[in-house]
Amino acid sequence: MTSRLQQTKGGFNFDNHVRNTMMEGKGMGIPKATKTGTTIVGLIYKDGLVLGADTRATAGPIVADKNCEKIHYLAPNMYCCGAGTAADTEMTTALISSQLELHRLSTGRQARVVTAMTMLKQMLFKYQGQIGAALILGGVDINGPHLYTIYPHGSTDKLPYVTMGSGSLAAMSVFESRYRPDLSREEGISLVQEAIEAGIFNDLGSGSNVDVVVINSEKVEVLRNYAKPNERGVKEASYKFQRGTTEILKTSIRDLVDIKESVNIHTPEAMDIS
Amino acid sequence: MVIHAQPGWKSRISLRLAPSSKASSASSASVLDTSNSYGLHDTMRFGMRQIASEVSSKHPLENRLAEWDNTQMELKMNMARNMYGMHAPIKMAMERSLVIQARGPSMLPQRSNLGLDILAGKDESIDFEDYLNVPEMSTDMVDVHVVMERQIGIRA
Repeated sequence: MTSRLQQTKGGFNFDNHVRNTMMEGKGMGIPKATKTGTTIVGLIYKDGLVLGADTRATAGPIVADKNCEKIHYLAPNMYCCGAGTAADTEMTTALISSQLELHRLSTGRQARVVTAMTMLKQMLFKYQGQIGAALILGGVDINGPHLYTIYPHGSTDKLPYVTMGSGSLAAMSVFESRYRPDLSREEGISLVQEAIEAGIFNDLGSGSNVDVVVINSEKVEVLRNYAKPNERGVKEASYKFQRGTTEILKTSIRDLVDIKESVNIHTPEAMDIS
Repeated sequence: MVIHAQPGWKSRISLRLAPSSKASSASSASVLDTSNSYGLHDTMRFGMRQIASEVSSKHPLENRLAEWDNTQMELKMNMARNMYGMHAPIKMAMERSLVIQARGPSMLPQRSNLGLDILAGKDESIDFEDYLNVPEMSTDMVDVHVVMERQIGIRA
């Protein structure tokens, strides 16, 4: 009854799939994508919520980015931390941010956190986990603060405190021992900082600095590089050699380019009005 | 969506949430894709016949994504039929056919259909297909003859 339309569509292109499987079979693997390794956390305090993340991005055993941003903007009242493949988390959050803006323009209201969660979950389920984005979504809307985790295959959880990423167990141990409901803002931020630092010091995939974002019903504070527990030490001595350490025996200077300066006076011709 | 009149027809309407990862013609490759007017592989247009490419396995996501929109539409139609009766999907299909304009023989680049986008809800959303591999920007050469033959009905 419904006419099935055959159109050339955009989106992902799978033309190279056959070639790639053949190359993998012959021993040449696919290049490793940059992952975020990561410790990301979120917790709900008395007036809103606090999100935290470390800032290391890894490509295999190498640190690809020492100070990357893992807390992405989704809406004025919502932010999303991303773990997993770095490009996937960035593109997914950017796409959902655009979809939320379109949704907000058509409804004329502030977007709810469940809307963003549903959009993310449906998109990740559609791609069957091939988009490696594990996200912590947090925001404050008309119904109060909400904190969700979204896994790459599309499952979600709604919880008062969450951790994700390779350092999630280290961070969760801090939360499980010290979290209680109705924390104050300072207590919440310091608990998040301790949880991220536990991930930074105990997990190889996480490192560098601590980013914190505090969201409540009035405002959002983005505290980039809130703590820097891994500052590089200043070298005590200089290894530069002083001028004159090596004796100069002979000096000869040869100009490679002859520089000549000349001034040309250009007499302007009269206009031809004929 | 097939209309059944026998008792028990409700159980046969597919309420499939997601398309299968195997295309309906996955394990068998048809020679019709590259056939000339004699029904054989057209070596002049498509090169030597490669059996490997005919039975190669596809990525599990390829068919799922290609059939996604059609499957969601079918799900909506079937649920509307179960809840509101036959008139609901008939009305939806009627509105859809009103905005699908027949393509003239000269309109080879596919224009975006605004009416269809509004009915499908695509005017208020953005997806990967809107900025990745946009068909309008592709540099593939369109084989005019194959398209024309498809439209007239000579070839599948």
